[in-house]
Amino acid sequence: MKRYYYPRLAFDGIRKNKQMYVPYLLTCIGMVMMYYIMAFLKSSEMIFNMRGGRSIQAYLNLGSWVILIFACIFLFYTNSFLIKRRMKEFGLYNILGMQKKNIARILLWESIGIYVVSLGLGLLFGIAFSKLFELGLLNLLNAKVDYMLSLSLHAILASMAGFLVIFFLLYLNTLRRIHFSTAISLLKTENTGEKAPKGNLLIALLGLMLLGGAYYIAVTIKEPLAAVMLFFVAVIMVIVATYMLMISGSVVLCRLLRKNKRYYYKPQHFVSVSSMAYRMKRNGAGLASICILATMVLVMLSSTASLFLGQEDSLRNLYPRELVGKFTMENMEAVSKENCAKLCAKLDEACSESGAEKRNFFGYRRAAVTVLFQGDFMNTDPELTGDFSLEGVKNITNVFFVGLEDYNAVTGDTRVLGENEVLLYEERMDYPEKTVTFPNHVTYQVKEKVDQFMDRNVAGELVIPTLIVIVPDFDEDIGPLVDAYGRYSDHTKYEPVSVSWNYGFDTGLTTEQQIELNETIYEKFHGPEGESEFGIHYFSVDAREGERADFYSIYGGLFFLGIVLSVVFLTAAVLIIYYKQISEGFEDYARFEIMQKVGMTKKEIRKSINSQLLTVFFLPLLGAGIHMLFAFQIIDRILLLFELNNTLLFAGVCLLCFIVFGVFYAVVYRRTSKVYYNIVSGGRA
Amino acid sequence: MSYLEVKNLKKVYSSHKGGTAVEALKNVNFSVEQGEYVAIMGESGSGKSTLLNILAALDKPTAGSVRLDGRNFAEIREAEVAVYRRDNLGFVFQEFNLLDTFTLEDNIYLPLVLAGKRYPEMNGLLEPIAKKLGIADILKKYPYEVSGGQKQRAAVARAIITSPKIILADEPTGALDSRSTDELLRLFSEINEAGQTILMVTHSVKAASSANRVLFIKDGEVFHQLYRGQDSNEQLYSKISETLTLLATGGERA
Repeated sequence: MKRYYYPRLAFDGIRKNKQMYVPYLLTCIGMVMMYYIMAFLKSSEMIFNMRGGRSIQAYLNLGSWVILIFACIFLFYTNSFLIKRRMKEFGLYNILGMQKKNIARILLWESIGIYVVSLGLGLLFGIAFSKLFELGLLNLLNAKVDYMLSLSLHAILASMAGFLVIFFLLYLNTLRRIHFSTAISLLKTENTGEKAPKGNLLIALLGLMLLGGAYYIAVTIKEPLAAVMLFFVAVIMVIVATYMLMISGSVVLCRLLRKNKRYYYKPQHFVSVSSMAYRMKRNGAGLASICILATMVLVMLSSTASLFLGQEDSLRNLYPRELVGKFTMENMEAVSKENCAKLCAKLDEACSESGAEKRNFFGYRRAAVTVLFQGDFMNTDPELTGDFSLEGVKNITNVFFVGLEDYNAVTGDTRVLGENEVLLYEERMDYPEKTVTFPNHVTYQVKEKVDQFMDRNVAGELVIPTLIVIVPDFDEDIGPLVDAYGRYSDHTKYEPVSVSWNYGFDTGLTTEQQIELNETIYEKFHGPEGESEFGIHYFSVDAREGERADFYSIYGGLFFLGIVLSVVFLTAAVLIIYYKQISEGFEDYARFEIMQKVGMTKKEIRKSINSQLLTVFFLPLLGAGIHMLFAFQIIDRILLLFELNNTLLFAGVCLLCFIVFGVFYAVVYRRTSKVYYNIVSGGRA
Repeated sequence: MSYLEVKNLKKVYSSHKGGTAVEALKNVNFSVEQGEYVAIMGESGSGKSTLLNILAALDKPTAGSVRLDGRNFAEIREAEVAVYRRDNLGFVFQEFNLLDTFTLEDNIYLPLVLAGKRYPEMNGLLEPIAKKLGIADILKKYPYEVSGGQKQRAAVARAIITSPKIILADEPTGALDSRSTDELLRLFSEINEAGQTILMVTHSVKAASSANRVLFIKDGEVFHQLYRGQDSNEQLYSKISETLTLLATGGERA
């Protein structure tokens, strides 16, 4: 009997508080499961062996760490609810003569019990679901699957070790809480209201400024690179601001509501406003956490889903034809019309060998340089263009020079240009001047801005703003520039102007044949002979179909990670809501009992609970929606880095995610408010 | 017909599993006239609390009836009970039962707010009461910021602000020190002199001796009653003590 004394006390403690412990255990099990699955996938042979599998496993590795760290933070949070709830019980043990070290022993048994149960069930579910996740992932990646169930010893050991550390830390934390409290304080339950924090208005204003700043950044940033740089700054600002605003803002709000006597002294607001004010700080922190988790879920899910859904688009952006290529040439002579015609002839040769027919062909000559516009002048000083600071990135522009002849041929347009006149095509920029001055100080008049270059923007480089300058004659107008500032000029003084011949065409061949043809083309130019014959500096030829697997692995992997982490964060948000409701329910129980004695009807109780919950629940949802609205543009820009240029798709996905999330949230709201109502009405509802 | 009439009241608690039934009230009969100040005394387990719960419409009798101002409690529909209680009864509890989320002022307003009154009206009602009870200065404070006596005075204010037909007080001095007890009893007497009907359940002789009439309950029945008549508080006090001694030593019904 004595032998099982402590384990039994521990078990009883859990059983008696099952309303608190069951969700906690479920959380632990869920976290173990998710971690095991990630650990399993990141070492899965099947994924390793597929194309792009390594990059996916790198994501998964990152994801597994995110889950572990998040599990640690989150279990600390939920555990604090449990400890608080049980302090009274420990106080009683203490008064009845149990020493703190005995309590520590009970708690040790309890921790061991929870560890064993959550690990056991977590691993069980993890193993059971790992195959499902593997299949899901492989399906997203369009990869071949087999249906053998396997388990990974490595992943099991990693989960055991990872969560052993977490549970040990939790145990130590509980001991610390017990150690620093006296029997009386353990027993004492009298609640005092929270005082408004000092400098509350200041915090609210500061939060408002931070949020405004973050929103300003998010809305004004136009350049994708700058967006990436500033995105995380903005995220941190938003997180801090949300906490500041929700905490101090709710205090200010409660104060204002209370001052408004006509609003405050209404049966449905009276009770809810006062109890919100009573625990405003805690409330605010909880709301902010929910709001941030919700925002994270929305951002992750909508961006990765957009990438995944838009990957065909992205693929076509990068590879506007089935086969594309770019030959960067040594000098102006090598990019002469005659030479380019020879390159083209080689392509035809390769095609006829493979029995392919060139369709939708385009080929054009291009000179490219990175500049910093100063007025209308294209400054190519590397000091300026190599400036990857925020200001620098904002102003750097890629300039492509294309001859009018090629332009008309590629677009089917019939433009005419006079001497010293150019056409401009702007990609992600606004060129304000009426003239352009080339790096060699020759000035041209801007005749017109055109709205097409190719039927798809082969310009490709979505990251940096691009200006395409269409000059009257490629050889005459660009030749001197390339000669002076080309590959052999002094590059410590100038950015080099590189010249290339670009092509693209469709074939109507099968996927395998396309890839084969691309190989043939590659072989035609490959090697020192091929390159020197034409004066090729370097070249790349790609088949769209050949790149598809890599695309799917990257975007599918990101989408998968987005889903998994969203599920984890969503679970966390739900549990925060649940614990908030339960712990407040227990606090409010006595209050509602008094109110019933004083003459509050059940209906009025329900009404006031609804009014309270509605505010508490939909404030974070509203906050997340507003955050998302402001983050929309900056994320849209960042997606450009992933070659996704489809704002409409992204907007649609965002909206869909928000609606799905909102519905899910409403369901959670209904369920937890029922639990809350049951608690405050003493289970008699 | 009397203002409050309790007739043949009987309450039996039986456990769900069909175990032993406990008879908390056997057969209680008494009446209270308007403007009276009545104390009900009895030891723990005598059925006092059960009686009070029934009078407060918080519990239903097994048999018998309670009529207040001509209205039979049994006729009030379940959904209206809370509203009836709010509009017609005032409560003062041993543990004050103030809500710590409200200031004293808001605690006092609670029943009025529930009744849908507007702020100016409520404020007008509160001012004279707060002055009389000596809590005008601490209205903006929270319950955890004031003493027990002050809390109880706020609770009294909450009870009388609705001008209830009757005030039901359950051991109102139980959690108070002697000075606060004296003050509270003096307040009760004052309120009663102003015409308020009060029914107080207590086992404090001192508290009971401030009433005009004292009922003694034993084993679920009204065992005895004392009228103040021309007695002073002290004289009533000694009469109550004697009765209690008699009750405790098992004396026969007087």
